[in-house]
Amino acid sequence: MKRDACTRLLAEKLSDEVVVTNLGQATLDMQQIADRPLNFYTFGSMGQCSAIAMGIAISRPDARVISLDGDGSMLMNLGQLCTVANTAPANLAIVVWDNEVHQTTGGQPTATSMRTSLAGVARGAGIEKVLEPQNEEEAAAAFDRILSEEGPFFVLVKVDAGPAGGFMQRDQLGYKLRFMQALAALPSDQ
Amino acid sequence: MAQEGWSRTVADALRRNGIRTFATVPDFIVSQVLEHLWADPECKVITVTREEEGLGLLSGAYLAGQRGCLLMQNSGLGNCVNTLASLNNANQIPVVMVISHRGDLGEYNPAQVPMGQAAERVLEALDVRVSQPHTVEAFESEADGLIKLAYTRSMPVAFLLPNDLTGGRYSS
Repeated sequence: MKRDACTRLLAEKLSDEVVVTNLGQATLDMQQIADRPLNFYTFGSMGQCSAIAMGIAISRPDARVISLDGDGSMLMNLGQLCTVANTAPANLAIVVWDNEVHQTTGGQPTATSMRTSLAGVARGAGIEKVLEPQNEEEAAAAFDRILSEEGPFFVLVKVDAGPAGGFMQRDQLGYKLRFMQALAALPSDQ
Repeated sequence: MAQEGWSRTVADALRRNGIRTFATVPDFIVSQVLEHLWADPECKVITVTREEEGLGLLSGAYLAGQRGCLLMQNSGLGNCVNTLASLNNANQIPVVMVISHRGDLGEYNPAQVPMGQAAERVLEALDVRVSQPHTVEAFESEADGLIKLAYTRSMPVAFLLPNDLTGGRYSS
């Protein structure tokens, strides 16, 4: 599967969900395909994307929160899957674009190109709803589930290696303020 | 000897400054603060697997309008360095850290000493404003101001708690 095509599949279904994106490809993809105030882009702190998403999820249980993470970054912070499983925020979904390489640094292979399954790690951590779509149709169905059912979800999407197109916008503070204002303005049903 | 009531004083200062979300990798010393927070139904305390994961989580909480505090040992500060720099500092996301200062006066475990001796300089290098209160009175005189500064300046701050405040931990 292509990462940008899968990102488009997900983006078409979004309305008022929070999306947190991992440094590098996921951030660039969302900037290019579906820039929106409820996106929080990360540009560093490798491994923290899904932890940030979880912090938002427990603080705003009325909002649905999606982390778009990568295999290299998830491998750096596997422990967070245990925290997600045991805290179990129902409004959190972690999507990992698994291209089996460190794309941003030149395509060096990660552990998932060999014997390691992040879906297996997520199950072992205690996450019950682990999805592994094998094609775009299954990916679309998985995205429908994470946008409607209670989680937490872990969705492992195997994607082709290859850099995202375009140039990254790096106005971190501007994006942060835009995000905080958009989330604060999102009506709470509590 | 610990200062009488130090752990409740710390817990109360955090709570009266509006902090309700806590992340921790516990140790013997900060657990004495955690006891008060665990017992408070208004406080959300999440035990994470590594301290920098707590910074990620509390940064998310801040983006969603909640103040957060990370409680850990100073060895955990070592695990936090890049996230403090590239997430909190680069994005101006404040957080309050409560750090037990192992590896300083009276330490019995050689493995604790190098990080304990480096802790102050690591915080200084990361531009984190620090309070090191040796008494309950010294803590009280700085606590509200330091926490307020964190949110005014949008940067992390740290309470680095010396053994003469907390009683430390001694080998049995």
